[in-house]
Amino acid sequence: MNELITLLEENCPGIDFRGSDALIDDGILDSLDLVTIVSALMDAYDITITVDELLPENFNSVEAIYALVERLKG
Amino acid sequence: MLLYYLLPKRVQWGLLLAASYGFYLAGGPSTIVYLLFTTAVTYGAGLLLGALNQKGKQLPPQDKKAGLQRIRSKKNAVVLLTCLVNFGLLYFLKYWGFTAEVLDQVTGISLAVPDLLMPLGISFYIFQSIGYVIDCHRGKYPPERNFFRYALFISFFPQVVQGPIARFDQLSPQLFSPKKLDYENLQYGIQLAMWGYFKKLVLAERIGVMVNTVYSDYGSYPGSILAFATLGYCIQLYCDFSGGIDITRGIAKMLGIDLAENFRCPIYARSLTDYWRRWHITLGSWMRDYVFYPLALSKPFRKLGSFGRAHLGGVMGKILATSAATFVVYFIIGIWHGANFRYIFYGFYNGILITAGLLLEPAFVKLRAKLPFSCDSRGFHGVQMVRTWLIVFVGRYITRAPRLLAAFVMLKETVLHFQPSALVDGTILTLGIGAMDYMVVFLGMAVILLVEWYQEKGGHARKWLSQRSACVQVGAIMIPLLVIVLLGAIGQNYVAAEFIYAQF
Repeated sequence: MNELITLLEENCPGIDFRGSDALIDDGILDSLDLVTIVSALMDAYDITITVDELLPENFNSVEAIYALVERLKG
Repeated sequence: MLLYYLLPKRVQWGLLLAASYGFYLAGGPSTIVYLLFTTAVTYGAGLLLGALNQKGKQLPPQDKKAGLQRIRSKKNAVVLLTCLVNFGLLYFLKYWGFTAEVLDQVTGISLAVPDLLMPLGISFYIFQSIGYVIDCHRGKYPPERNFFRYALFISFFPQVVQGPIARFDQLSPQLFSPKKLDYENLQYGIQLAMWGYFKKLVLAERIGVMVNTVYSDYGSYPGSILAFATLGYCIQLYCDFSGGIDITRGIAKMLGIDLAENFRCPIYARSLTDYWRRWHITLGSWMRDYVFYPLALSKPFRKLGSFGRAHLGGVMGKILATSAATFVVYFIIGIWHGANFRYIFYGFYNGILITAGLLLEPAFVKLRAKLPFSCDSRGFHGVQMVRTWLIVFVGRYITRAPRLLAAFVMLKETVLHFQPSALVDGTILTLGIGAMDYMVVFLGMAVILLVEWYQEKGGHARKWLSQRSACVQVGAIMIPLLVIVLLGAIGQNYVAAEFIYAQF
């Protein structure tokens, strides 16, 4: 989890990932941030995230992103 | 409206479908065939994709991976074919004449251009139906099996002309659920529609006369008058489009249906990106979900991203691919507006400015840190707003001028031969409207700015009104009605103008 948070903070500096569980719903992450995060996750964990996975519930919190990565690493 | 609420609940949507097709037929009977064609093709595609999704779920575990791959290829083919057919039709109707003209000028090859009527709202309903097909591909929801229900989703009469571009999972449950007469829906709906009619009939139509006078003879006016007319066009376009959407959403609200928001106080935008998040929101979110994401996550763009990170490094390397995809999206939004060089340039204009803003953001962050005042201050926000207005203002020269070259000439005149005295020597009273009209537009815009400022601060104007006394509530409907009747562009001498966005 800590490794994931470091990765997220490196790619989107200035965003408090730990402080919200509505990162998408509250507009903290916009579409540009989302694509940056998805690209970083795909490169770091060697997974494929398709546009079908770009749902708010998969990116609203660090826990949700972690769960998505774990599921796709499968 | 009365019939809608008196009918048995399960057939209410049937009346909406009949009204929608009746409305479309009244607008131009010959073009209904395009609406039916798109409805039939995308309905069929939805069913096919639904069946393929179902097949994917029933695959035996040993064949799951290879089977899903096969099914995905088939689904991609269905979506590709549906897009080709529909966007091909849109291209033929909207851009073929322009293609033939350019080809003729460049190569001398003359192509036949059939004299076909542009179907009302075709860009809007094709975008809406393609969004549905892509959602079915993604398995976001099962496809609609009833053709007539699907036909209502595509043709729902308040929105078919100029949007908002709806999503099936948001609109369809509302279209088909039983409705009973609700005082609040009726009140909100009437207020919203009145607000829209006020913007359209009292403000947009009035200021539009001045804009047309100047733009139709732009060579005869100094820069200050050209700038004045362009400011007028900014007001006209905003009041025309947002007014039209308010009318649309108001009528839908009276029927108990909440349509998606299409504007969120664009006047208060602090950057061009922020402006596009507030202006024509449903087109922006359509582009984000169905163009930007697939493009930014596609193999070529991911390769570009890897290249950026490896060779450029830093923030610029990280956002290179995202910026390139952003540029493509804004370019498409530009040419979506029409087939001519003005809109192609408008696409470049927005794309280049937004992409440059993204790439230069790290430098801006450093610069802002060195400023002697807080970037969260009201003054700085004001400066950001004025900067955004200027960018949008210049863009409006491009979209309103009769030709691209004319836009450049007008911009040059504005900068080099401004002649501010023309603004006070009485010239503006010779542009088709009088002092009283300017006063009406000025006061009207002041009211709009005030209401939007309240909304920007988190207020809800109609909710606020609903908590006032009955007298105030009746006044809130009667006063705008009176203003529209007395000052609106209605009556025997008025030829109803189309909404500007209906032609897109």
